[in-house]
Amino acid sequence: MAAPIRVLTAVPICDGHDSAINTINLEFIRHGIEVVYLGFHRYVSDIVRAAIQEDVAAVGISSYNGGHIEFFAEVVKQLKKRGADDIKVFGGGGGTITHDDQRIMQKRGVDKIFFAGTALTDMADFVRDRYAKKPKRRATSDAEMKLARKLTEIEESYAGKSRKAKVESRKSKSGSTRVIGFTGPGGAGKTTLIDELVLRMLKRDAKSRIAILSHDPSVVGNGALLGDRATMINAQNDRVFMRSMATRGQAGGLSPATEDCLQLLAQSGFDYVIIETVGTGQEAMPFQSKLVDETVLVMNPDYGARLQLQKIVMLDLADIVVVNKSDLDRAKTAVNEIERRLEQNLREQKLISTVAKRHRDRGVDELCDLLTRCAAAKKKGK
Amino acid sequence: MMSKLGSVVEAVDKYNEHVLAEVKRARADEKFGRELLDRWNEIKRNIKVGTSPTGLQLPRLALPEIDEPGEIARFLVGDGLPGEFPYLNGAYREMYLEPWQEPAIETGTFEKNGDGRKSRLNGARNGANGNGSTPRAAKNRVPDVVRKPQQAEEPTRLFSGLMLAEDTNKRFHFLSAHQRSKRLSTAFDGPTLYGIDSDADGVFGKIGEGGVAVDTVEDMVRLYDGFDLGSPDFSASMTISGPAPIIMAMYIAAAQRRFGADVVPKLRGTIQADIFKEVQAQNETIFPVEASLRFLGDMMEWTMRHMPRWYPVSISGYHIGEAGSTPVQQAAYTLSNGFAYAEMMADRGMSADEFGPRLSFFLDCGLDVEYIALTRVSRRIWAIGMKEVFGAGPKAQLFKVHTQTSGRSLIAAEFRNNLTRTAAELMLAYMNGTNSCHSNSADEPFTTPSEEWIRLSAHSQAILLEESGIFKHTMNMLSGSPGMKAVERAVEAAILEEFREIERLGGVLAAVENRYQRSQIQNAAHRYEEQIYDGTRPIVALNKYRNPDEEMPEFELARTPRARQQLQVDRLKKFKTKNARKAEQALDKLADIVETDENCFPALLEAAEVCSLGQISERLQEVVGRFRPMV
Repeated sequence: MAAPIRVLTAVPICDGHDSAINTINLEFIRHGIEVVYLGFHRYVSDIVRAAIQEDVAAVGISSYNGGHIEFFAEVVKQLKKRGADDIKVFGGGGGTITHDDQRIMQKRGVDKIFFAGTALTDMADFVRDRYAKKPKRRATSDAEMKLARKLTEIEESYAGKSRKAKVESRKSKSGSTRVIGFTGPGGAGKTTLIDELVLRMLKRDAKSRIAILSHDPSVVGNGALLGDRATMINAQNDRVFMRSMATRGQAGGLSPATEDCLQLLAQSGFDYVIIETVGTGQEAMPFQSKLVDETVLVMNPDYGARLQLQKIVMLDLADIVVVNKSDLDRAKTAVNEIERRLEQNLREQKLISTVAKRHRDRGVDELCDLLTRCAAAKKKGK
Repeated sequence: MMSKLGSVVEAVDKYNEHVLAEVKRARADEKFGRELLDRWNEIKRNIKVGTSPTGLQLPRLALPEIDEPGEIARFLVGDGLPGEFPYLNGAYREMYLEPWQEPAIETGTFEKNGDGRKSRLNGARNGANGNGSTPRAAKNRVPDVVRKPQQAEEPTRLFSGLMLAEDTNKRFHFLSAHQRSKRLSTAFDGPTLYGIDSDADGVFGKIGEGGVAVDTVEDMVRLYDGFDLGSPDFSASMTISGPAPIIMAMYIAAAQRRFGADVVPKLRGTIQADIFKEVQAQNETIFPVEASLRFLGDMMEWTMRHMPRWYPVSISGYHIGEAGSTPVQQAAYTLSNGFAYAEMMADRGMSADEFGPRLSFFLDCGLDVEYIALTRVSRRIWAIGMKEVFGAGPKAQLFKVHTQTSGRSLIAAEFRNNLTRTAAELMLAYMNGTNSCHSNSADEPFTTPSEEWIRLSAHSQAILLEESGIFKHTMNMLSGSPGMKAVERAVEAAILEEFREIERLGGVLAAVENRYQRSQIQNAAHRYEEQIYDGTRPIVALNKYRNPDEEMPEFELARTPRARQQLQVDRLKKFKTKNARKAEQALDKLADIVETDENCFPALLEAAEVCSLGQISERLQEVVGRFRPMV
């Protein structure tokens, strides 16, 4: 079986019209396409960076606020400048894109423009026909692009029959890299929490580089909506390498290719590698890997009856437990109950309350302190 | 704990019970019944009778034909006369009527609403408008063209904004050339709406597209050049929300540059500044919701204290409607957003009589049956809520509303039909007693409105209000029919049910964070599309009576030439270089104050003198964070 096609979709800067792209995203995943959705009001540089890091086959842009000729052309130009002109650009929008515009845009390297009224299935068919086969690519000296392509290779090797060419050297990770795993039920606020951490980590050390490996579930038809980039506004940064992965049929919160991808990232000189699972159930134990240094379980105060806590395996395993959304009425009770629950384990586990949606939340500061302290301690120890 | 919205629901329920109780009392209590009858007869006696062009005698106020105390109570208490609580029939005693020519009957007892603000917001031909020095006898008619400059203020508003500030300025002068009162309504381009500078990465191409580019106070000076900002006959409306407090500061700074500090209390106009609807529907938000509300509150408080004629927020249902909500959702979310702003100002220690009169509304008017009474019902709910829950006096109870016909109802196929759609919507808007109205241009589905179609859309209003006699002679011409009553009842009940749901979620802010309004609107939009698709919602020339041979008309698109865009970038860079040192100081000071609980608007005003829009919003984002989209 061939690996699913991966595309990136976005709405240009100064444009909040996201209803068309939301509908199109759903149609794409129904047709087996993996869609990395970047969100609305996005800069050219964010789109180009994301396209390269995610190593997508194509970028789809939905534009309603004018300026499309320049915007599309700029995306094409910047991709080319990075040597990533194998990533194609297509798109469409409202009534302000004329047929004359389309001709100019195609002359400037845009692959295809869809006009209002195009059937959704036609768009999905176009993507599947046109981008299924990756063009032959020139070798690159761009480190980020190399890494991105290597990750694709690993991911695709799991989709193919033979599982070879995974990670070349199985050496352990580079000394100063810290790998942190985040897991927890869906809706607990993992993505927002990680993004707030990234903001702090980037600020505290002006040179630090971070990799994020984020997971979303594959759905019926084997497509996936990989939407974490739309929420992670601070992670769209030149010092952050982010990769969105679909679980591609594996249960437990990660993808079959995760361990190998993690291995590669851990060898690539980042200060932190953050890995986020999909929303997990009570029995999940996603971080069996020796590569993971710290595991963080993010909980929502609304977990139900106290007895439920006894069933959550990660409460035994996590190094740090975070009760997010601690501004909710139920949070105090939740913190008390989880504290009692952790006491049973008779090991040192940290419990932190956060409100990740709040800017400069003290709980998130505390979590960041703790994680960076762990990293510093490790550096010294070595 | 109940939020203020819960109390509003209770207040409306209680008021409706009170109406029924008054009806009973009028029937049972003979003395009360007689008082009501006396009052009713007094009202009727004082109604002036005018003459139509064909010689027909008509009362300037039409009343239901009732003479039984219970029914009189139901009308007076439940609906109210125009200009009287609970204002179902109108915010003012008279709107749109031809000026009163000569006193046929002694007036007096009924002239209690003759304050200045009423005349400002009244319709085209209100006799109480201070034009009394030029009385014209009815028989001595002059052609309209000649009379027009002497008319009271027109309720017509035309939204405009294109290319650079000086281009829009030229358009403003063209549009208002023949109007005595200059009422300018400003559209901004995408970068401005998102608080981004024209020289930002990847913005080129969007400069001056779909609205005017404003980066600095100097652009603001150019934008309204040649207009007397302090004149009672001038007002500026600015359609911008995300960075509204910054743009407001730039407007004030520009006015001060041109006219000195004394102009500030004289400034008239409106800035949209409605953050809730951005998060619920339009996505033009740049700060996290709570920080946005703080900046908004600071601006509202400052302008309410220093600019008594300014409307610092236009609580907007228009974009909610355009995003696909049902009419009831539009009214319910707009009103509840309004009550949330009222609660916010009350929490800042302001009284309802201080902030109430400075709140204004903006609604969408489409073709669904609810629009027959949507604004009427909204006006009533607002008045009851403001009075009973916030303790507002009469001036703070008024729901002052600008209406725009629905853009979403217009389609590209056989687009000339859009004239008919807009005309029907205009009729509905004026039946609801809107204070002012914008009629859309029929070519909108393809392009920025061209002058030809703008002219026709403006004419449609003149035809309705001036040429036709529908609104000229009699108040309450179309109020109170059994059908309208039935719609009113159904719409009110449905709005209150939406309020209850929002209350169950913990109030407006909590519901917003739950994405409640957003998901409701998206569901309604989806249903609307499905109905068009399956034909249950007929759209002429689209899914019914379609012309198979029709071809899309080719339109000349108004685009900003590259050279113009480059000019904007170049002069912005010059501004930044010139002010570099002062800008840094002003931004540091602003950031420091934002860290405290102090009102940051004065610091924003200082910063607006020397900083660009993008510099200010970026610095503020460093302090309060950026808006995280709800996906």
